[in-house]
Amino acid sequence: MYAYDKFDRSLVDIRVAEFRDQVERRVKGDLTEEEFRPIRLMNGLYLQLHAYMLRVAVPYGTMSGDQMRRLAHIARKYDKGYGHFTTRQNIQFNWPKLSETPDILAELADVEMHAIQTSGNCIRNVTSDQFAGATADEIADPRPYAELLRQWSSFHPEFSFLPRKFKFAITGADQDRAAVKWHDIGLIVRKNDAGEIGFEVIVGGGMGRTPVIGKTIREFLPEKDFLSYQEAILRVYNEQGRRDNKYKARIKILVEAMGAEEFARQVEVEWEKIKDSHIDVPQEEVARIQAFFQPPELANQDATSAVTSEFAKKNFIFASWLQNNTNAHKVQGYVNITISLKPHGGIPGDASAEQMDLVAALSDEYSQSEIRVSHEQNLILPHVALKDLPAIWADLDEAGLGTANVGLLTDMIVCPGLDYCALANARSIPIAQAITKRFDDMKRLQDIGPIKVKMSGCINACGHHHAGHIGILGVDRKGQEMYQLLLGGSGAEDATKAAILGPGFDEHGIVDALEKVVAVYLGVREDGEEFLSTYRRIGAQVFKEAVYDAA
Amino acid sequence: MTLLSLTGIESGPWITLLDGELPSEGDSIAVPIARLLEEGVSAFATAGALGAAVPTGTSFAELEEVVRSLTFVAIEFSAFGDGRGFSLAVRLRKDMGFKGEIRAVGPVMPDQAQFLLRSGFDSVEITDESRVGAFRVSLERFNEFYQTDYMGARSIAHARHGISQ
Repeated sequence: MYAYDKFDRSLVDIRVAEFRDQVERRVKGDLTEEEFRPIRLMNGLYLQLHAYMLRVAVPYGTMSGDQMRRLAHIARKYDKGYGHFTTRQNIQFNWPKLSETPDILAELADVEMHAIQTSGNCIRNVTSDQFAGATADEIADPRPYAELLRQWSSFHPEFSFLPRKFKFAITGADQDRAAVKWHDIGLIVRKNDAGEIGFEVIVGGGMGRTPVIGKTIREFLPEKDFLSYQEAILRVYNEQGRRDNKYKARIKILVEAMGAEEFARQVEVEWEKIKDSHIDVPQEEVARIQAFFQPPELANQDATSAVTSEFAKKNFIFASWLQNNTNAHKVQGYVNITISLKPHGGIPGDASAEQMDLVAALSDEYSQSEIRVSHEQNLILPHVALKDLPAIWADLDEAGLGTANVGLLTDMIVCPGLDYCALANARSIPIAQAITKRFDDMKRLQDIGPIKVKMSGCINACGHHHAGHIGILGVDRKGQEMYQLLLGGSGAEDATKAAILGPGFDEHGIVDALEKVVAVYLGVREDGEEFLSTYRRIGAQVFKEAVYDAA
Repeated sequence: MTLLSLTGIESGPWITLLDGELPSEGDSIAVPIARLLEEGVSAFATAGALGAAVPTGTSFAELEEVVRSLTFVAIEFSAFGDGRGFSLAVRLRKDMGFKGEIRAVGPVMPDQAQFLLRSGFDSVEITDESRVGAFRVSLERFNEFYQTDYMGARSIAHARHGISQ
């Protein structure tokens, strides 16, 4: 993975000193609260319902065992012993003190981490495929390009005060695990007929109160022009994006208003002026960064492991875990493990300091000290030998991390909701807990099969409900928390917007409604047909009748 | 009010012309861009030095019409978060090749000093004089940058490989 050189190190160190100075100036009254707000946000510090919240960047979801151990240490020393992994592959600490945040940032800088631009109206942490560099279905590892974006966008003099936040996602695989079409800019690594690397550029996707699926404005952007083209997009957006209404300020609104073709035309005009002007880095720099992401050297292994197969025969949960929580690696005899942070009855995405330490230790022993965070709020150990799985699972299971539900109904994306968030209208966590208790039977979950349930506690859609096969949206109805049910969304390469099924439910009714939807699916599915395919085949009406007629 | 040079090159003050007001001969004047476009550059031929006062919402195409007649441009920020001012300065330097002074006017923060400098501003009008020190500190904060600036000065990516421009 990427390692800082003296330049990167100096920048984060100076940034910590700068923020320390800014906090002092705020305390002395030299900076107004209004001025301090964007400053603290661009350093990851939010003011939540009960306290400050610090969001630490895990660039493109990749970190080392040492970095994870440092996060555990921060959770213990400065927080209440846990952290929350987010849909932007970041981690949030919910209880830091303002006066201690410069110290936390210094502790992070010490292990080459930061909280730069994890919030604010600027370019945020770039997200990517959690299996990047370790998956069989990949054209190229997207992370070197994500790192180029990270550097180019950090403290950009022109683009640090945009109309609104700005999110990039990049994938190098056919299967889109990074929801690129739901981002301000989504990038897919492509190869042209000459075998050269380039990018499909998608703009104007986004969730929130106006869900929009991004549109392709360039089929193939050559690698050498990577950054100058992004700069052209950002300039058009910075100048013309709306600043009079924060709900209409995202690039998706501009692209919709202008039309994708006109937007693309303006970007091309802009790009023509700047494309050969040193905004792009020299080829040696691309090569330097790529060298950090070379595949690890893995010992030869057999394609199957008797130890693992035997254990799976004896243990149903392990067999399910093997099926659901591991996926194919590029190299024979290896897999990537997804560690579920969705224990039934627990808080989705949370991990305790002890669990973080365990994952770090396991990464040292089994996965080249490498750990990933997925936008689905789970942790990944890449490059793991098949034969090591029983031992790893036993350790995970003992620590409450052995849940075998990855990709199944209880592996939900869930925002923090009204338990933490100042924007939320309704609680998300208790609903998630009620759902996991209702669907606690692994055999039943396994029978239902792959299904993505995503829940947000308000229309800002941090829980990606628009992209859920089943989405749940918390709303406020005259002081009562209500929940709307949406069906048919997708965050993958076949991205679609979920549609609201009908009137909302109270916190008990929503769980019943979900169960009825699942029952309809189980009744009508064809052999091997997954939930989303069934929904697309039969449409909303059958579900609607089952959910509302019986009520 | 204090005028702080970001580039180290000292510049003189100018008078911002109010609506309907006519300049005295030989004065350095900043004319609101709307008026300049309406009355034409020739209406202000007696000015010693002609500049434009440009709100951040001005399109660069409008500015382009008159930029060749201008000695300086004052970009007026409506709020410190109004990032359009940075793009306007970049446009003036890169697209229009403007060599005159660009000044930031309005509620910019000391913490934005390096962003201003690196987007092409030469100076800042500081209304609260007690903040001049903070501006100076901020101006010296970082010494290497991930991006090339408006002049094409080398970025960290170039420095790493010994490439200078």
